[in-house]
Amino acid sequence: MAFAPLDPVLHNQLRLAIVSLLVGLDSADFNFLLEKTGATRGNLSVQITKLKEAGYLTVKKTFKDNYPNTSCSLSAKGLKAFEAYVKAIKEYLGTGEG
Amino acid sequence: MDRELTPSESLRIIETMIGQAKSSFSRMSTYFLLWGVLLIAAMITTYMMRDSGGAWGQGAAWGVVGVIGGIASWIIGASQSKKEPVNNPMDRIVGWVWGSFIITMLLMIFCFGASHRDPGAAIALLTALPTFLTGQIMRFKPLIFGGLLFWVAGVIMFFSGNAAVITATYCIAMLFGYIVPGYLLKRQEDGLRTA
Repeated sequence: MAFAPLDPVLHNQLRLAIVSLLVGLDSADFNFLLEKTGATRGNLSVQITKLKEAGYLTVKKTFKDNYPNTSCSLSAKGLKAFEAYVKAIKEYLGTGEG
Repeated sequence: MDRELTPSESLRIIETMIGQAKSSFSRMSTYFLLWGVLLIAAMITTYMMRDSGGAWGQGAAWGVVGVIGGIASWIIGASQSKKEPVNNPMDRIVGWVWGSFIITMLLMIFCFGASHRDPGAAIALLTALPTFLTGQIMRFKPLIFGGLLFWVAGVIMFFSGNAAVITATYCIAMLFGYIVPGYLLKRQEDGLRTA
């Protein structure tokens, strides 16, 4: 039986964590993602950009209390990719994973 | 961070992060504490002034705390919405539950007032609904208990003709249905922020 290939955009610890956080939210600020993932600012920023370039995230840059604020939300494409990723993972685990 | 993930590691990340996002509710404790104190104050004022014959004895205190609480809630809500780091769909649902409650309550006050009947017991019964639902949505047991308490209080208030009993029942329901859960919720929220 052939397994579905895992999406390389999502098959990364930090990018998967970001998308998993956003899947249950309408949107989340950069600092929220920073706190929950425990990543560094630089790495988080790089991975958000990669997700954005893949069309998985919508990123809005606004001002909150006079400070720049980055807000991220999962796009329809990102949600679809996440669902396909979870399905593929379950298939791998269903046959025993080494 | 960029090493290859195993499928079970992936699943663990997904479960952990979804769990973290689910627990990210907006701060709500302030509303329960604010309204709990204001409504107890209104109830006691109305009871103490019941024989005075003036506006306070007729329930003017409810209107005063309604305006004070409404303005304060609006200011708190506006301030918090600017600071909240996430937009959680559950917050929106809880918001609509309380919005529906306020509309129904105002209509009830109008209808009961127009027919010269006391809306107190009906409002206590109605208060149970959003309190209980909020507790269930947030999985916060003190609020679930608070909702149940308002249902019991509403029935007692409905069948009791004694002003002292009605006042005490309402105040106890507010204390254990709003203020105590509000305080416990505040401790939980403060703990989450400093964790």
